[in-house]
Amino acid sequence: MGFRRAVAVVLALGLALAGCSDAGDGGGGNATITFWDNNGGPGRTPIYEELIKRFEAANPTIKVEYVGVPSASVQQKYDTAIAGGSVPDVGGVTTSYLANLVGQDALEPLDDRIDSGPLKGKLLPGLVETVRQTAPDNKLYSAPSSGNLDVIWYRKDWFEAANLTPPTTWDELVDRAVKLTDPARNRYGYTIRGGAGSIFQLLTETYAYSGVEKFFEGTTSTVASSGNADLVRKVAELYKKATPEADVNNNYTQMVAQFTGGSVAMMHHNLGSYSDVTKALGTDKVGAISLPVGPSGKKTVVPNPTDGFAVFKGSKNTDAAWKFVEFLVSAESNSYWNEKVGQIPANTDVRSEKWIEANQPVRMALGVLEDPATKLVPAPVYLPQYSSITKTDSEPAYQKVLLGQLSAQEFLTGLADKLSAAQKEWEERR
Amino acid sequence: MTETLIRPLEVDPPRRDAPPRSRRRGEPGRSWRLHLPLALYLLFTLVPFYWMVVFAFRPTGSTALVPWPITFEHFDTVWNGLGFGVFFTNSLLVAVGTLGVVSVLALMGGYALARFRFRGQRVFLLALLCTQFIPGAMMLIPLFVIFKNAGLLNSLTGLVVADTAFQLPLALILMSGFVRNIPVELEEAAMVDGCTRLRAFFAITLPLLRPALVAVGSFAFIGAWNNFLFALMFAGRQDKFTLPVGLSYALGEFNTDFGALAAGGVVAAVPVVLVFAVVQRFLVQGLSAGAVKG
Repeated sequence: MGFRRAVAVVLALGLALAGCSDAGDGGGGNATITFWDNNGGPGRTPIYEELIKRFEAANPTIKVEYVGVPSASVQQKYDTAIAGGSVPDVGGVTTSYLANLVGQDALEPLDDRIDSGPLKGKLLPGLVETVRQTAPDNKLYSAPSSGNLDVIWYRKDWFEAANLTPPTTWDELVDRAVKLTDPARNRYGYTIRGGAGSIFQLLTETYAYSGVEKFFEGTTSTVASSGNADLVRKVAELYKKATPEADVNNNYTQMVAQFTGGSVAMMHHNLGSYSDVTKALGTDKVGAISLPVGPSGKKTVVPNPTDGFAVFKGSKNTDAAWKFVEFLVSAESNSYWNEKVGQIPANTDVRSEKWIEANQPVRMALGVLEDPATKLVPAPVYLPQYSSITKTDSEPAYQKVLLGQLSAQEFLTGLADKLSAAQKEWEERR
Repeated sequence: MTETLIRPLEVDPPRRDAPPRSRRRGEPGRSWRLHLPLALYLLFTLVPFYWMVVFAFRPTGSTALVPWPITFEHFDTVWNGLGFGVFFTNSLLVAVGTLGVVSVLALMGGYALARFRFRGQRVFLLALLCTQFIPGAMMLIPLFVIFKNAGLLNSLTGLVVADTAFQLPLALILMSGFVRNIPVELEEAAMVDGCTRLRAFFAITLPLLRPALVAVGSFAFIGAWNNFLFALMFAGRQDKFTLPVGLSYALGEFNTDFGALAAGGVVAAVPVVLVFAVVQRFLVQGLSAGAVKG
């Protein structure tokens, strides 16, 4: 009897829950816009919540609904929403998948809106250019908000204890990495990203070393240049000599865990690790330097994907959506956001803020991007095949290089051939 | 000689109550052979849980192997910072809703499949089986469009419908197997005594299907509880996400909050572990009942 009653209760409850209707749109304001954060999480969601609060206070007729989307699934979420015709009004986007969204005709071009408003001339030209280059028609489909840069995070305390200075060239990096390695104490001088996401990092290293200033000569990729191959060889030689053996499978989380766990002296990642490394080690123990240069001494930088905000064509409130984007990229909001996450503010008015002086990694990165001698060599993230070429095809090949089963030159030639073919196809379609 | 014969007799009486000698002698070896692999398997299974608990309760940056000094900061992050309170409630509603709907439909459908003969029955069963080969991701966009037109996007009801659709085929197959194992003669006897078919079902069959209901319900509950893809894709509002979506927040584009990930894992795993702890007796009974047909 008891069992039957229990079954009846559970079934009734289930049916009641399944049948219950959910509350509709909260409404409240004259316009409600939806904002999808492309990297929702404990670090960033509270910052957006604060900014939304400020925006709603300043614009009482607009209500913003925040939706944090996990970064690993954001592309799939956007693709599904576009195919299903249910897009947000504003979305956080990076240049790594901007071309894909533009290709689906999902975004509003923002050139006119920027040129006719307070953001005109206020955005870092380098970041604006990387966003423009992503679109086939050279239009600005996202208002850049943050720049990122690949850096070498290093343990200041270990360097001081060993009486070493941070490296400025790749040869110095190799030297320091070997000197700081002591497997008996589970200490290694360097960590290599050999697993997921390895190729983009490797490309930033190779171009920083070789000083090659263009990714393509015509439609032929320069990836396989001899300077690039030299660097790949140098990194491969460091594997196991000055790095943990498990590095061949490292993705960024494992690298960061090794670094913050105190077993690695230097780690190549980007400014995005700022909060992780400073939270775990403290700002006094950890510093950031730009990627070392090669024998040419040239400062060539493969820029990281640029973060920004896009207005979706399917939005019913494009004006309100743009107002929100304008607010997010305004000097005050842009400063607040980038100070919290430790990235390069896109709004040039933020440069004079005190926090930038105090934040060594961001100050250093801004210095690199603003240095007239710096040459930006954007990777072709706009190619539809870019992801499959650099991940599916090339990551296993790079692991073979680290394990000594494939030469650096052969690996880079294979990668360059695929990128050249994709670029040619892209140019033809354009 | 006499001495040697007497001595065993003196010792023997207390041994008579003990188990036979051969069994006693065999125990240590058997125990070792049985328990060592089990212990190793247990270790293999529990190490991730240990990892999760250690990361959840120890401070960020600590490398200690035990969570000491203990901290609840990660739980505060996930519960208050990430909104796990809402996600937890949503997960519970969706999982219980799916459990309820799947159980009712599986009971009715499974009974029909087991007790009645109708045209196309085998094809129907085969079709149910075939649905298991279709990955959810493939159905994403068609389902999205259907749900949008039906007004089921951004609602927990939509998630219950989607989860039910994907859990039901297996539940039907399992349930029909369970019903088939209950002799139809029991129901017939009840009907001879004056019961209607419905009364016979409730009085005779349903109580006997208790392990089956628990097994089918558990699968439905856990399937819905763990579903990440539908929860992320069909919900366009923060307050409609479920726990798996909340968990993936801890894995950022550039950084991973291992403490929050582990604390979220504890929050997500505890209810499932508790459900299993309560129902495992029925579950094992139910699985074996469903497995043997004859």
